[in-house]
Amino acid sequence: MATSGKRPCRYAELHALSNFTFLRGASHPEELVETAVRLGYEALAITDECSMSGVVRAHAAAKEYGLKKLIIGSEFKLQSGRKLVVLAQNRNGYAALCQLITNARRAAKKGDYELARTAFENGLPNCLALWVPDQNLTLDVEDHWLRETFRGRLWIAVELLADGRQREQLAKLREEGSRLHLPLVACGDVHMHQRSRRVLQDAVTAIRLGTTIDGAGFALYPSGERHLRSLEVLQHTYPQELLDETWRIADTIDFSMDELRYEYPDELVPEGETPASYLRKLTGEGMQRRWPGGVPRKVIKLVEHELELIADLRYEPYFLTVYDIVAYARSQNILCQGRGSAANSAVCFCLGITEVDPERMQMLVERFISRERNEPPDIDVDFEHERREEVIQYIYGKYGRERAALAATVITYRPRSALRDVGKTLGLSDLQVSRLARSMQWWDGRQVDDSRVLEAGLDPDSPVMKRLLYLVRELIGFPRHLSQHVGGFVISNAPLYELVPVENASMPERTVIQWEKNDLEELGLLKVDVLGLGMLTAIRRSFDLIRDFGGQQYTLASVPAEDPRVYDMICDGDTMGVFQIESRAQMAMLPRLKPRCYYDLVIEVAIIRPGPIQGDMVHPYLRRRNGEEAVDYPSEEVRGVLQRTLGVPIFQEQVMQLAVVAAGFTPGEADQLRRAMAAWKRRGGLGSFEDKLISGMRARGYKEEFARQIFRQIQGFGEYGFPESHSASFALLVYVSCWLKCHEPAAFTCALLNSQPMGFYSASQLVQDVQRHGVAVHAVDVNRSSWDCSLEADENGLAELRLGLRMIKGLSEEAGQKIVAQRCRGAYAQVQQLLERVGLDKRELGVLASSGALRALAGDRYRARWAVSGVEKPTPLFTSMHRYEATPLLKKPTEGQDIVADYQSTGLSLERHPMCLLRGHMDRYNYVPARRLASLDNGKKINVAGLVITKQRPGTASGVTFVTLEDESGQINVIMWKQVAEEYRAALLNARLLGITGELQIEGKVIHVIARQLFDHTDMLGDLCTRSRDFH
Amino acid sequence: MARAWKSPVKARGTVRAPSAQQQVLPFLEPEPRTKPLSLTPTPARRLWFCVWLPNLPLEACRSSESATVVVEEQQGIHRVLLADATAQAAGVMAGQSTNAALALLPTLQLEERSPVREQQALEALATWMERFSSFVCIAARDVLLLEIAGSLRLFGGLRQLRENISDGLRQHGFTALLAIAPTPLAATWLARAGRRACVRDTQNVQSALRDLPLACLNWPAGLRASLTSMGVTTIGDCLRLPREGFVRRFGAEPLLQLDRALGCLPDPRNSWRAPERFCADYEMTEEQSDRELLLKICEELLLSLEQFLLVRQLGTQRLTFSFFYLKGPATELRLGCASADRSAARWLELLRIRFEQLVLSEAVIAVRLQSGMTQAMQAESADLQFQDSPRGQKRRYSVTQLGEKLIARIGDQSVYSINTVAEHRPQYAWRTQSLLSDWASTTLSQVSQHVRRPLWMLPEPALLPAEGVYPLHQGGRLQLLDGPERLETGWWDNDGIARDYYTAVDVAGIHLWVFRSRKQSPSWYLHGYFG
Repeated sequence: MATSGKRPCRYAELHALSNFTFLRGASHPEELVETAVRLGYEALAITDECSMSGVVRAHAAAKEYGLKKLIIGSEFKLQSGRKLVVLAQNRNGYAALCQLITNARRAAKKGDYELARTAFENGLPNCLALWVPDQNLTLDVEDHWLRETFRGRLWIAVELLADGRQREQLAKLREEGSRLHLPLVACGDVHMHQRSRRVLQDAVTAIRLGTTIDGAGFALYPSGERHLRSLEVLQHTYPQELLDETWRIADTIDFSMDELRYEYPDELVPEGETPASYLRKLTGEGMQRRWPGGVPRKVIKLVEHELELIADLRYEPYFLTVYDIVAYARSQNILCQGRGSAANSAVCFCLGITEVDPERMQMLVERFISRERNEPPDIDVDFEHERREEVIQYIYGKYGRERAALAATVITYRPRSALRDVGKTLGLSDLQVSRLARSMQWWDGRQVDDSRVLEAGLDPDSPVMKRLLYLVRELIGFPRHLSQHVGGFVISNAPLYELVPVENASMPERTVIQWEKNDLEELGLLKVDVLGLGMLTAIRRSFDLIRDFGGQQYTLASVPAEDPRVYDMICDGDTMGVFQIESRAQMAMLPRLKPRCYYDLVIEVAIIRPGPIQGDMVHPYLRRRNGEEAVDYPSEEVRGVLQRTLGVPIFQEQVMQLAVVAAGFTPGEADQLRRAMAAWKRRGGLGSFEDKLISGMRARGYKEEFARQIFRQIQGFGEYGFPESHSASFALLVYVSCWLKCHEPAAFTCALLNSQPMGFYSASQLVQDVQRHGVAVHAVDVNRSSWDCSLEADENGLAELRLGLRMIKGLSEEAGQKIVAQRCRGAYAQVQQLLERVGLDKRELGVLASSGALRALAGDRYRARWAVSGVEKPTPLFTSMHRYEATPLLKKPTEGQDIVADYQSTGLSLERHPMCLLRGHMDRYNYVPARRLASLDNGKKINVAGLVITKQRPGTASGVTFVTLEDESGQINVIMWKQVAEEYRAALLNARLLGITGELQIEGKVIHVIARQLFDHTDMLGDLCTRSRDFH
Repeated sequence: MARAWKSPVKARGTVRAPSAQQQVLPFLEPEPRTKPLSLTPTPARRLWFCVWLPNLPLEACRSSESATVVVEEQQGIHRVLLADATAQAAGVMAGQSTNAALALLPTLQLEERSPVREQQALEALATWMERFSSFVCIAARDVLLLEIAGSLRLFGGLRQLRENISDGLRQHGFTALLAIAPTPLAATWLARAGRRACVRDTQNVQSALRDLPLACLNWPAGLRASLTSMGVTTIGDCLRLPREGFVRRFGAEPLLQLDRALGCLPDPRNSWRAPERFCADYEMTEEQSDRELLLKICEELLLSLEQFLLVRQLGTQRLTFSFFYLKGPATELRLGCASADRSAARWLELLRIRFEQLVLSEAVIAVRLQSGMTQAMQAESADLQFQDSPRGQKRRYSVTQLGEKLIARIGDQSVYSINTVAEHRPQYAWRTQSLLSDWASTTLSQVSQHVRRPLWMLPEPALLPAEGVYPLHQGGRLQLLDGPERLETGWWDNDGIARDYYTAVDVAGIHLWVFRSRKQSPSWYLHGYFG
C-alpha cells in the first residue's frame, strides 16, 4: 500500500486544530506553525472548530518562522452530525466564513454553536469544503446536498490514522468518491504538533468531559497519530495522488491575514468635509473654548504640529471616533477623562478628550505618538463607573451590533486552575486538589518546591505527582475560554463579521469578537477602550454637591491649579480617600517625595508600583530628589531621556527610548521589547533582547555595569511598568481629588460614600477621617436621610454630613427611595406608617430598626425591632391595624451593643470607637493610642493595639507583612518581618483586634511600629463585625 | 399544687417590683392564675439525664492522632466544622475555609463530615446506655436522653450513676457534657449550655434556665437573630416578654417549647430500640449426629427466622449457623445472598448445598441461627402465573440465583462475572467482578464496534521469533493482513502501552493477533487467536 517513491513529497495539512479549539487541540498555533515549517510542509491550515481565535497568532508565527502559506479555515459539526472543514479561498471567502461562524455562534448560547443546513443557503462562495467521513464511511442524502452546495469545491478528506482499518477505509472512500465524482485528499485531523502531546490531549479531553482520564474510555484517542506527521511517514501512509491533491488545493488558495484592512466608520464626518478638515475645524473651535481670551502662539504652533503628524499617519478618523464618544458623554453630564499615548496631545485637550492642559505638562506629543513606530494611537477613556453602561449602549446604538463589539480576553490556564483541572482528571479528591492549589503560591512557573508538595501531604516522587506536575506545566498558558475585555471596543465601517467572527458574551446584550487585544494590535486594528473609573463618579458627585450646596460649579479643568495648600496636605500624607496616592505605601512615600507640582504627581503615580519597586528605582530617585546623590548621565542622549526623572527610568516609555538611543534598537524593536517585557514572566526570559540590549549599549560605549543595571530595571518592570501617558492623566484626577479633600471635605467624603465600593478604605475609615478633619457626621434617620448621603448646613451654614439610607445593609434602593418619596406627605410618626404609607415589608422594617434609623419613632433599636416585628399588613377590612399591646420588658442596649449593631448594619459607628470602650480592659498591656506615637522617641519599645483594617504581603517586599491597625485616635502602621509573621501565624491570620509589642520607627512624618510580638484580643470584640482588607 | 410550682425567686419578688407587676401583664412566665390546671407542672416523677456530644462529628470519624478537623461543604466551599485541641492550639477555628486552616497548620488532617458514622456512633452509645436505663432516647443528632428516675437506686444514687456514665463515655473516646433535669428539654438545654447542672425539682427548673443563652435552644437561626436584635439573649429575657405579643411575632412553637421545658406541658418521647437481629438456639436433649435430623432442625430455625423477619418487614443478606458440641469450639457455616431475603425455602436451598460439604467433628448438642444486619424490605408480589414477565428480567433473576448457588457450592472467591470496560488497552478491556456485589452497578459499557478483537486472548503476550523485520510463527513467516492498529495509551497508570497491532495469518492458515512494540528495539508478540 505504501508507495515509497523517490519523488520529493509535497504536502499541505488542511485539517489542523490548535488549542483554540478549547480542550480538544493540544498545541499552541505557534507550535503548529513552527513544526509545519520544520517538516517542510507546503502549507498549513488552521481549522479550529467554529473559531478564528487562534489565527492571528498563527499568522504572526507564520511570518516569524517563514511558513510558505497559512490557510485560514474552520471545522464544523453540523446538526446532522456531519463534520466539515471549510477553507477560505480569498478575502471574500474569509468574510463568508466569518459570517458563517458568527451566525452559528450567535444562534447558540455562549461557548456553543449551532449550524443548520440553512446556514449554507448562499453556497458559501469562495470557500472550499472537505467532508470528513464518520466511522461508518457511508454517504447519504445529506451528502448530495453537500455536493450541490459546494459544487466543484468539495473533497472527501481521507484521514488514515493507524486505527487498523486503513486499507478498508481507503477502498471504501475511493468507491464513494468515484460514485459521487468527488476527489479524495489526504488530511491529518491534527490535534497536536508532536506525538508526545497525546498525554496532554488525553488530559484535556477528560477535562472537557468532566471525568477522570481512566474513566474517559473510548473518548480518548487510541494513539497519538493526530500530530503533524513527517513527510516520510505520510508517503508511507497515503497514495501519492492523495498527497498531491493537498498542495493542489493549497495552490488555489490566495488569502493572507495581511489583506485585512480596517476602515473607520465614515458617518462621523459631515457632508462636504474630509476627516482632516473636520478634525481641524473641531480643534479650532475647541481652542477658542479653552482660551477664550486668545490662544497663545505656542499652543497654536503645537496644535499645528500635531495635526500635521496626525494627517501624515491618517489617524483623523480615530480622533473623531473618540471625540464622538466623549461628546456624547459630556452631553449626558457623564464625567470622563482620556489617557494613553495620544490622549495627552494638545489636540485632545482642544477636543475635550482630556482635561490635562498641555501647557501644564510641557510634553511633546512625539513622546507618545511616533512617526517611525507607526503604531496605532492609543486612547483609553475612563468614564464614571456607574454610568459606563450608558456610553456602551450609545456605541451599540450608533454603530449597531454588526459594526461595534467588544474585544475578547482569552482566559488561559494559570497554575492554580491548571492544577485544579488536571488534579481532578487524575482522580485526586477535591480536598487534595485544594491543598495542592495552596502550594501553588510558590509556583515560579517551572517548578513546585518538593517541600510544599510534602506539606500538602503528597509524595513529590510518586508517579501520580510526577504526572500531575508534568501535565500542569504543559497546560499552563493554554487558552480555556473567551471572555470579554473590560471595555475595548472595535468599531468598523463595514460589518465586523466580515473581519472577524462575533459571538455572544456571557452578559446578555453583549457581543464579543473572537480576537483579543494583542491580536488587534498585531493586525493594526484600532480599538477604543471604554473603561469605568469609580473616582470619576465620586468627583462628579462632589462637583454636584458643592453646586447644590450653594457653591461654584466646578469642572475638571476649572478646579484651581497648583494650590500650595493642597500640596501641603499631600506632603503630610493626609490622603485617605483620594485617587491613587491613598494606599499605605503611597502615604508612606508622600512625606519623603514631597510632591510640590503637577509633574511630581505624575511621577508619584508611576513610581509606587511593583515594577519600579522591584526594579529598585524608588530609592535612587528619592536620594537624588533629596540631593543626597549626584545625578549624572553617561551620555547626552541618555540625559535627554532620563532628565525629567533625575536619571532613573520610571516610565515604560523611557525604557523603550533608552533601548533606541542607547542600544540602537529600531522603534519597531523597541515596541517588541515592550511586549516581551509584559510577558517575560509568563513566557520565560527576555531571551534575545538581553544580549541585543547589552551588546548594543556596549557597542555605543556604555559601561557594562550601566547596561546591566538598565537591563535589571527593565526586568523588574515586568508586566507592571506604568506608562507616562497614563500617569499624566491619572495625576490630574489625583490633584482634583486632593483639592476636593482639602477644600470641600464634607462634599468629597459624601461623594465617596455614595460611590462605594471603591478605593482602599471602608466607609468606616472614611467617616472617621472626615470627623478628624472637623466635619460633623449625623446618623441615618428615616425622617432626615435621603437614599444617598447628603450635606446639611449647621447653624453657621457650614456643611455637615448626613448618612443616607444606602448605608443600611439589606435595604434595597427601591425601598429607600420610596421612604424618601413618601416623606413629602409629612414626617413619619409611627412604625405602622412605614408599612402602610411606604409599603415596606417586615424584613425591610427590621433592617431599618436594626440600623437605628427609627430612633425618633420607636426608641432604641431593641424597642424598634420589637415594634416593627409586631406590625401587621392592613387588610381590605381594617385599613389601619394599629393595635395596643402590652409593653415588653426589654433591656436598653449598652453602648457596646449599639456599636456592634451599628457595624453590623452600616459598617460604621458614630458612637465611640470600640477601642475606647476596651481600653479599660486592656490596662495591663499599656497600649499607646495612635495619636501619641508622633510625640515619642524613635526606637522606643512600645505597645499598640487596634482593629485590623488591612493586611498586606506584597510580592515585592520579600516576606514582609504590612498591617494597619485602627484605634480611636487614628491608624497605626505596623511592619512585620517574616519570622515574626511565621511565629504568630494564627494571630496574624485570625485576629480582628490585635495587640502588638514592638519598636517605634519614626522617620520625619512617617511612623511605623516594627512588630515583635502579637496578641489576639478578638474575643474582646464579641460580635463586632469589622472588615479587614487583605492584599496578597 | 400551684404553691409548689411557684419558683422561689419569684415568690420573693426580687425580680420585679410589685407595682410593675400590675402594668405588665400577662407575661410569658406561666401564671398559674390564668392557665388551665392541666398546664401546671406535676411534681417530678421523671428525671432526665442528657448527654450532649459537642464533638461527635470529629470523634465519630477521626482516624489518626495528629491534628484533625472535620470539614463540611457549605455553599460549595469546604469549611471547618470542628477542630481538635491540637488544631485549635494552632489557631484553627470552626467556620474557616480549609485553605485558611491549612495556612495555619499545613499538616492538618481533613476529614469530611459523615452523618452516617455519627448516627452509627450515636446508636452504638445508645445501645451501650441501655444498661443504665430502660428508656434511652436519641433526641437530636448529637443528644442522648436517659430517663433515670427508676435507675437511681439501682446504681447507687445520682452521683454514682453520673460517674459511671461519664467514665464510660470517656473510655469510648467521646467528649460529653451532662446535665440532669426533670424535663427532657431543660436537661438538653442545660447540657448544651455546658452547665453541669443537676436539677431534681420542677420548681427549680425556671431559675436554672433563666441565664441560659438562647443559642443552646437550637431554635432556627432566623428566630434567634430576631430575638437577639431585640436584646433578648437569654431564656430569662424571653420569659419576660408578653405572652400574646410573643406568639404574634414568633408563633406558638417556641412558646410551647418553653412550656415543655418548664414542665407546664407534657413532653412525651420515644424510646430508642436497637435494630433487631435474629438469634435462636435449638438445644437437644442428647447429642445428635444424624445429618438429616440436623438439617430438619436448621429448617425449623429458618422458618422461625422467616416469621421473625416477615412481621418486621425486614430481610437479611447473611446468615450464620453454629453447631455446638459438648466439648471444643463450635463449627460455623455462613451463607450469603446477593440481595436481602427472608424466604426460608431459598435459604434452605443454599444451605443444602453447603451442608453436604460440612464436616462436623462430633455429635452436635445445639444449633444456633443468627442473622446478619437486617434491613427494611419491600413486600414482594409474586409473579402471576399467567402474566408474561419481560424475558430479560426473568432470566437475570435466575442468573442471580444460579450465581448464589454456585457461590454456596464453591465459595465467594471463585465465582465472577465478566464486564467489558471502555478501554483501548486490550488487557484492560474487560474485568471480573464478584457476584455478591451490587448487581445494579454493573453496566455493560459500549464496545467500540469498529475494532476487531480475537475471542481468545493470551494471558500475557508471547514473544515471537523474527526473521529480519518479519515475525515467525510455527516456524513460518507470518503474513500481515491488516494494520497497523496503533495503540499508544494508558500512560496514566504504570502500564502504558505503545504497540502496532496486526491481523496476521501463519503458514497453517491460522489467523493471529500480533503486535510490534514501538520501542527503540521493536520486537513482535503474539496476543491472541481469532476463532
